[in-house]
Amino acid sequence: MKRNFWFVVFILCFVVVSTSFAAEKTWESQQGEFSGTTLTVLITDPHSAVVESWKPEWEALTGAKVEMVVVPYASLYDKMMTDFITGTGAYDLICWPSTWAGDVMGGEWVIPLDDLIKEYGYPNWDDVAPAIKTVVSWANKVYALPYDGDCHMLYYRKDALENPDYQAKFKEKYGYAYNVPPKSWEEIRDIAEFFTGWDWDNDGENEYGIAFIAQRKTQAMWSYLDIAMQYAAQPGVAPFFDPETMEPLVNNPGWVKAMEVIQDMTKFAPPGLLSYGYSELRQAYVSGNSAIGLDWGDIGIMEQSEEKYGSKVKGLLGYGPLPGAMKTYNFKEKKWVEGYNQVNFLNFGGWIFSISKFSKNQLAAYKFATYFTAPERSILDVCGIHGYTGANPWRFSHFQNIDKWIEGGWGKESVTKYLGTIQTILSDPKAVTDLRIPGAAEYYDYLDLYLAQVLSGTAKPEDACNNIYKEWVKITEAQGKEKQLNLYRESLGLPKK
Amino acid sequence: MFKGEERVRAIKVGFIVPGLLYLMLMAVFPMIWSFSLSFQRWKAATASPRVFVGLRNFYTIFFEDPRFWNSLRFTVFYVLIVVVIELFLGLLLAYILNEKIRFRNFFRVVFLFPMAAPPIGIAFMWRMLLNPDAGIMVKIMNSLGINVVRWLTDAKLTPFVLMSVDIWEWTPFMFLGLLAAFQSLPVELYDAAQVDGASRFQTFRFITFPLLLPIVVTLLLLRAIDAFKLFELVFGITGGGPGSSTESLSYYIYTVGFQYFDLGYACSLSWIFLGIVLLISNFLLQRLRKEV
Repeated sequence: MKRNFWFVVFILCFVVVSTSFAAEKTWESQQGEFSGTTLTVLITDPHSAVVESWKPEWEALTGAKVEMVVVPYASLYDKMMTDFITGTGAYDLICWPSTWAGDVMGGEWVIPLDDLIKEYGYPNWDDVAPAIKTVVSWANKVYALPYDGDCHMLYYRKDALENPDYQAKFKEKYGYAYNVPPKSWEEIRDIAEFFTGWDWDNDGENEYGIAFIAQRKTQAMWSYLDIAMQYAAQPGVAPFFDPETMEPLVNNPGWVKAMEVIQDMTKFAPPGLLSYGYSELRQAYVSGNSAIGLDWGDIGIMEQSEEKYGSKVKGLLGYGPLPGAMKTYNFKEKKWVEGYNQVNFLNFGGWIFSISKFSKNQLAAYKFATYFTAPERSILDVCGIHGYTGANPWRFSHFQNIDKWIEGGWGKESVTKYLGTIQTILSDPKAVTDLRIPGAAEYYDYLDLYLAQVLSGTAKPEDACNNIYKEWVKITEAQGKEKQLNLYRESLGLPKK
Repeated sequence: MFKGEERVRAIKVGFIVPGLLYLMLMAVFPMIWSFSLSFQRWKAATASPRVFVGLRNFYTIFFEDPRFWNSLRFTVFYVLIVVVIELFLGLLLAYILNEKIRFRNFFRVVFLFPMAAPPIGIAFMWRMLLNPDAGIMVKIMNSLGINVVRWLTDAKLTPFVLMSVDIWEWTPFMFLGLLAAFQSLPVELYDAAQVDGASRFQTFRFITFPLLLPIVVTLLLLRAIDAFKLFELVFGITGGGPGSSTESLSYYIYTVGFQYFDLGYACSLSWIFLGIVLLISNFLLQRLRKEV
């Protein structure tokens, strides 16, 4: 009896001890766990709103202190890389765009998280959309925590494009009826022209056909890439470099055609288009000045509140995937292929959180990031309950939890279509991922530079593409052509050469 | 330990050495380091090793880099225009506010405000004012029936918009320097000129201006060097656009250094930049010596 008693006591002790150990090894933050620790987060606006939302309760729970260093997007790369290169370790947790993966993950400036995930777990990895799992990984290792589901989509004004009178007038003028949402850039051009320069929403002001990001240094290249993907890529086939030779493809006829199309679009855009960064675009579009807009999911969030964002278009927006093109240039066969081509493109790839390899608080950083990216918390950041945070849906549960979106100010019909569009893009196995090799920021800056010249009318599309080509060759050589080739192939899922 | 002369010498050395070390550490060492980097290729972002490339960076800058020439052309054009206009306006304002007019002190203080504000703040303030959709300038112009919204989107117009902001911001600097100079001019010469029956223009042309010239050259030198370093307005208002119409040399160097992290090339560009600034300074200083 006595022996049994001690056996039961032993078992109980074992269970208690092992349970308490198991409790420590969880991604869930514990009471007072990081007392005295100061965690520094490098972040941009509006993403700082997410950290701002969760920091008080996480600080109260763990005893840690979270400090934010908020910088403008244009300064993020240099602040982050300067910290890495000098080894200062001023930032523990960094919120950065995954398109810089080649430099940041490839340069191993941030720690791989596989060990932490294995040891402490992660809040429902199976809930993360596959495309987002791809963007947080590099060379089969996870280097970042997902936080944002980014892809460009098409916005259109339902009160314009679905108006039967306007549809009839359009048909009379152009000889065909357009699709809603528009399916191709050829259609978009005509629709944009048709809705430019008159007051089609009867608000006393003339409206325009199309608006997109066009200002230099503010991500305008992704507006261009929306078009280039349709004319120069095919589903699942990235159009940046020849994966056999690392020869840039950026001056082939597909890319040149896309440059011509975007230059043409400026004629049907608001006069201030070239000063539209992402903030200006979103404010302008929800103020109701254009029939069509291109953006990430952010316009949808800003659509919902007149009070916060000056939206005059609540419930008036329709959503669709990127328009395709009626022909595409096949770089392998070096010829145009006639017929409809539509490519979903994961522009930017999404904002992600990584832990600096120089951080002295890596576990605290991991637990803070997993805290606010857990399903039940991250839904509040993407659906509008926490306002405009810059984070778009990226978990399956975000797409299913419609009630939260309605609580965030959405109408049921609107949010169903909005989420359906984003989910379709993120779930597309043939969606093209963004350029993710080392030097991506530099490749894109030159693309942005010559695109800006085309948009301002100071360069011809073909000349601009040739100039981009020359710069891309130089960058590739400076980075090491062979190394770049292998990394590019790796980013496409191809074996090394 | 030390006695007499030796002791005095040791004290002198003791005072000089820390300053000298600090100078070496903070100024001379970075210069030597950056000079050595200018002969190397170093893509720091990807943790690539540094490679010695000799004069390759300088050759590329002069013979293969149209962006350098474009940014240099814009910067020189910019400096010439803003410095001349700021000098002229500063002279005019100083001349007027040197007279005994009403609210003189009020205007003297008000004119200093733009110069006192942080340049990056000025840049973002003007970016908001000039916003083509919501900017107050557009609304004012529209209410007057003037339709000017392309000031930040027209590659030909935008450089002049940037210059206007610079002139607004930095004319007070010229004004302040020249006002001080006006107030230090000897009154006797003016009394003599008045006795001799000189007109206001003659007084200005033959007395005021020659006496002001050394100050003018000094102000020109300081302002030209500062304008040559144009960065904040480009960073905050245009980002170098539309196209590359407002990309200044400083902004280009920043882009190469801190966007591409091509640190070797950025150092080469910086040394060329320094050379150009020294040339301008030397030219203006020679003029100053002649005048003095």
